[in-house]
Amino acid sequence: MLQNLLGHRCLHVLLATMSVAMVGVASAAVCPGADATALSWLDKMSRSVRQVSYNGVVTLQRGDDMQVMQISHSVGEGTISERLTELTGQGAQVERADHPVACIHPGHKLLRVGADLQVGRCGIAQHYRFSVTDGERVAGRKAVRIRIEPRDMYRFGYVMELDRETALLLQAETVGRGSKTLEKFQFANLSYSGQILGGIEVNLVHEAQHPHPRTAATSAAPGDAWSVGWVPGGFASTDTPVGSSGRRTYTDGLAVFSVFLEQLGREIRPGEGVVRRGSTLSYTRGMHLAGRPVLITVIGEVPVNTARMVADSVDWTR
Amino acid sequence: MTERMRESLSALLDDEANELELERVLSHIAENDDLRQAWVRYNAVRAAVSGHQLAYMKLDISSQVQQVIAEQRTPSAAQTATSLRQRFLRPVASLAIAASVAATVVIGGQQLAQIGGAQSYGNSQAVAASASPVGLVNSLGATTVQASYGTQTVPVLRPATRTAYQQLARQRMQKYMQEHAEQAALNSPQGLIPFARVPRIRE
Repeated sequence: MLQNLLGHRCLHVLLATMSVAMVGVASAAVCPGADATALSWLDKMSRSVRQVSYNGVVTLQRGDDMQVMQISHSVGEGTISERLTELTGQGAQVERADHPVACIHPGHKLLRVGADLQVGRCGIAQHYRFSVTDGERVAGRKAVRIRIEPRDMYRFGYVMELDRETALLLQAETVGRGSKTLEKFQFANLSYSGQILGGIEVNLVHEAQHPHPRTAATSAAPGDAWSVGWVPGGFASTDTPVGSSGRRTYTDGLAVFSVFLEQLGREIRPGEGVVRRGSTLSYTRGMHLAGRPVLITVIGEVPVNTARMVADSVDWTR
Repeated sequence: MTERMRESLSALLDDEANELELERVLSHIAENDDLRQAWVRYNAVRAAVSGHQLAYMKLDISSQVQQVIAEQRTPSAAQTATSLRQRFLRPVASLAIAASVAATVVIGGQQLAQIGGAQSYGNSQAVAASASPVGLVNSLGATTVQASYGTQTVPVLRPATRTAYQQLARQRMQKYMQEHAEQAALNSPQGLIPFARVPRIRE
């Protein structure tokens, strides 16, 4: 019964995305260089996680380090439950239960440019160049490959392999300057059935958080509110920034970075430090803002240049 | 400052600028305050990271840079200045120019910090608050620079401070990675995978 319902829903949405793709072809001229086919795949990819249930084993490679984890994802009636279980390393488990299907976060909205192309809102196509070719076989599934090259120097490139049938993201490579692979994630095996492998020893369980819009709006002490003055084009806030809270996060649909500000109780010698792990960067900068010593940290999957310029633009809100 | 200008600036800093970008920055830096201050700030921090010792270089490099550019621009070349072909024909020269421009401005940034009385450079407030006796700007006729600036030893971020900042960046990654992953998991295509990047997941 549930299977029937799901099947029906999939077909319905698939038809909807196909019509979006056709509109895209007609309007590619409005956004120069926008590959309508690639963009429609991207659109489908962002919807696939709301349509199909699956579980499988995923590897994440970052330099010499490889982690293996099990992913399970199940779409129920109106909600999605997902779980990541580390099979190596710490052995932690991260769960997100009952996430409403209708709750679409900014990052996923940014991947759905289909209908906007025709009215000249090119969205993500303004910041990346997309192309589609036949993909490899990943986890036993035939894939379509999407090459995503940044149009500026503020973000990384990606090579993604999507399931030809479901548009599920099967493999993603993050590519830095000089075509260097910074990180590669891929399914080693994948099953679209709901069965979850048991017998895994879990050391710790973490419930993934979900932002609660506006409930945490603590009133900022006057003068403590801060803002980020510049982010690269195409990046949008992931949640409503709360006055003096310590974090701001931005996404362009593919990359995400967060900015943290700490007020320091004593003087600091100005400077900066950078640490990289795979595609993730931690950039920490000590400086004075209107005479007050602060530590600004940018963490995310962006080049150091982006982090530096973002940190440079932080200021108190006047 | 326009988006385009930021990109050019950024390209220059990473030694990735082509000639067009270099010219764009050079032609605007004299009259654009924002651009000039951004130059100085970016370079000061860049120098802090790379730990370049530039103490014994002279301040008049920028005039040499301009001269190099002038020499390179033959009348026929000037007409095709925007052509792709030209950009690819002389990449080596462009890189060399970009590198010397960057070096010049680094010196300016360091000295500004020194003038501002900071113990080391990289203090953006001191940089932003001062007038701009920057080598490059000076050569374009904006201000006069005292001769002594070029001969003084420039404070370089001490190795101990550099190591401390590196440590700090590593600690901050440990501290904030999970909070970042919470957002990334909801706003990027890989679902919960961003949590696998967290060094140590906390409950």
